[in-house]
Amino acid sequence: MLLIKNLHANVAEEGRKILKGVDLTVGKGEVHAIMGPNGSGKSTLANVIAGRETYEVVEGDVLLNNESLLELEAEERAHQGVFLAFQYPVEIPGVSNAYFLRTALNANRKAQGLAEMDAAQFMTHIREKVKLLGLPQEMLTRSVNEGFSGGEKKRNEIFQMAVLEPALCVLDETDSGLDIDALQTVAHGVNSLRSPDRAFVVVTHYQRLLNFIVPDFVHVMMDGRIVQTGGRELALELEDKGYGWIEQQVAAQV
Amino acid sequence: MLLKQYERELDKVLARAEGSGADMPAWVKDLKAKGLRTHREHGVPTPKVEDWKYTPLRDFSERDWKVAEPGPAVFKAELPRYDAGSVRIVLVNGRYDRNLSETAPGVTTVSLRDAMVSHGALIEARLAQAGPDTTKTVDREIRPDVFTFGELNTASFEDGLFLMVEPGVEVAPLLEVVHVLCAEDGEPTIAFPRILVIVEDGARIRFTETYVTDGCNDSACVPVTEVFVGGGADVEHVRVQDQCACSTHIGLWQTRQQAESSYRSYNVCFGSKLGRLDQGIWIGGEQTVTRLDGVVCANGEQHLDNHTRLDHAVPNGNSFEIYKQVIDDSATVVFNGKIFVHQDAQKTDAKQTNQALLLSPNATIDSKPQLEIFADDVKCTHGATVGQLEDLPLFYMRQRGVPRDAAEAVLVYAFAAEVLELISIEPVRRALEKRLYSKLGIDLT
Ligand SMILES: Nc1ncnc2c1ncn2[C@@H]1O[C@H](COP(=O)(O)OP(=O)(O)OP(=O)(O)O)[C@@H](O)[C@H]1O
Ligand SMILES: [Mg+2]
Repeated sequence: MLLIKNLHANVAEEGRKILKGVDLTVGKGEVHAIMGPNGSGKSTLANVIAGRETYEVVEGDVLLNNESLLELEAEERAHQGVFLAFQYPVEIPGVSNAYFLRTALNANRKAQGLAEMDAAQFMTHIREKVKLLGLPQEMLTRSVNEGFSGGEKKRNEIFQMAVLEPALCVLDETDSGLDIDALQTVAHGVNSLRSPDRAFVVVTHYQRLLNFIVPDFVHVMMDGRIVQTGGRELALELEDKGYGWIEQQVAAQV
Repeated sequence: MLLKQYERELDKVLARAEGSGADMPAWVKDLKAKGLRTHREHGVPTPKVEDWKYTPLRDFSERDWKVAEPGPAVFKAELPRYDAGSVRIVLVNGRYDRNLSETAPGVTTVSLRDAMVSHGALIEARLAQAGPDTTKTVDREIRPDVFTFGELNTASFEDGLFLMVEPGVEVAPLLEVVHVLCAEDGEPTIAFPRILVIVEDGARIRFTETYVTDGCNDSACVPVTEVFVGGGADVEHVRVQDQCACSTHIGLWQTRQQAESSYRSYNVCFGSKLGRLDQGIWIGGEQTVTRLDGVVCANGEQHLDNHTRLDHAVPNGNSFEIYKQVIDDSATVVFNGKIFVHQDAQKTDAKQTNQALLLSPNATIDSKPQLEIFADDVKCTHGATVGQLEDLPLFYMRQRGVPRDAAEAVLVYAFAAEVLELISIEPVRRALEKRLYSKLGIDLT
């Protein structure tokens, strides 16, 4: 489903190199976890997949279902099924959460040739998902993420994901800042979306999340590259030993 | 500098006013003569005049303006209406149109010309007197400049609207005053709408004033609106300038507020190529609430200039002023907000904010807040910001599938909404929201 080939990306304005040759293959129905030290480029990778213009791809390609995403605008990628749950969800004062999500849903439906939903149809459509994520009703009427607690913001991301039903879900540290119950709610939300047609890339620092969302593969990213890949036991090993030993291995290879 | 060609027309206007003016009381003729003298004395301001520095009138003054004739009975475009249940009053080229205007119990809505006879003494005491109290603005620092186009209007208007609410009366329906400007193709036509609004003690009314052109035409509108808000009265006044993009609008809007009254005013500017509005509010009684908010959306080659002057002449006044200005393409917006807190006006609480959102690298804003405080125990704040649409919220919305232009529109609306949402008349708010979207070229169905 997702194929990343030798991806190099820079900060567009200053030219600083961040991604230095990422290779990653994600099949349909799979869950891939990406771990790695702070500043290794995980969020950059997620943002490049989603089409953030702050970064400039200088080499390599990102393919979704065999089609390159690189020439597409962020919204076109979304219409192709790319979803990014932000590490830092953005506040949009003055725009209600429900209005925003309906606008987004209708934009996606329009792109797919489906009829748009009016406010009433939309409310019916999201009822189940609201329950699934245990979202208080008032969070729908408040401005997007404005004044939401850290945990509420993350829950709101997964709620939006559940409503939009994307094909490729990229979760950037959705577990950070969640209390134990919220972590379970969010994991439950993610798991309920798992399907043979949908893939997940989950960026996390903690093995704990992976107890709830069990990955098929675990990757370690360092200095802009994926340097190690394994099964879920790799996450346990990292939890135990940290990143030092991988760093040494990488250094030895050079 | 004078309105060159218009000079010739003026004589015609005056002759007409006098000729058909058998019914015009002598005091009106005197007032008009004085208006003309003052206008001639001051002429059309050049950019050397501080208040006109950013708004050049050269082109305007050199056009060959014809005075607008009474308009046609049939219009090219449908006249606006916000609320199906409202009472709509129509002025065509500045003249009250009896056939097109509705009436409502509890509120007097008549031709200004007729009212000069039926309510002569009242009108003589109020007409052209809603501006700053000249006995209290003798000092040079607070003396208002002559607004020469107000004088020109006084000299030139032939008829207008008189709107009055008797003491204690609460007018239930919304009143919509529609000013429609008609002109022959390719004929620069100038109109002088005049409305006088008197809301007596303890009365309540909500009304809109909308300026439109009938289709696209080359007209200039030089209106004067005067509002007297009586003691304890409650008034909400929404002024919408939505003329076509080749027209001109140079208006004066003055209000006097008495004790314990509430006056919430909103200045919404979407239209005209060249637009200038001077809004003044004189707070002459204590314990008042005043709003003078603005939403300005300019694009293309538009030049929209708003000057506001708020006089806190007595203690214990609360005023709020928020201006939200959206500027695209190579449009220019000018904002000048003066607040005078007079020496007696202790315990004044005045807040002013003006914010501009630039959507294009060629968009320009010139803004100047001007707080002049002569009392010592007051709370006054002002703030001005100029910004662009932020990259991150845009990306966030686009990531969710919202196309870029729609995402921009949503963010622009959110910016302007802080003011639009203060308007308590829901159908008006909705219509303005829709109009803002359509002006931004967005079809959000
Ligand atoms: N827009 C930018 N401008 C400048 N530097 C940037 C920009 N974006 C990312 N970087 C830098 O690139 C590196 C990788 O950042 P990134 O956010 O991708 O790391 P990360 O792996 O997600 O880290 P964390 O685990 O802390 O979230 C960091 O050194 C960061 O400072
Ligand atoms: Mg990160």
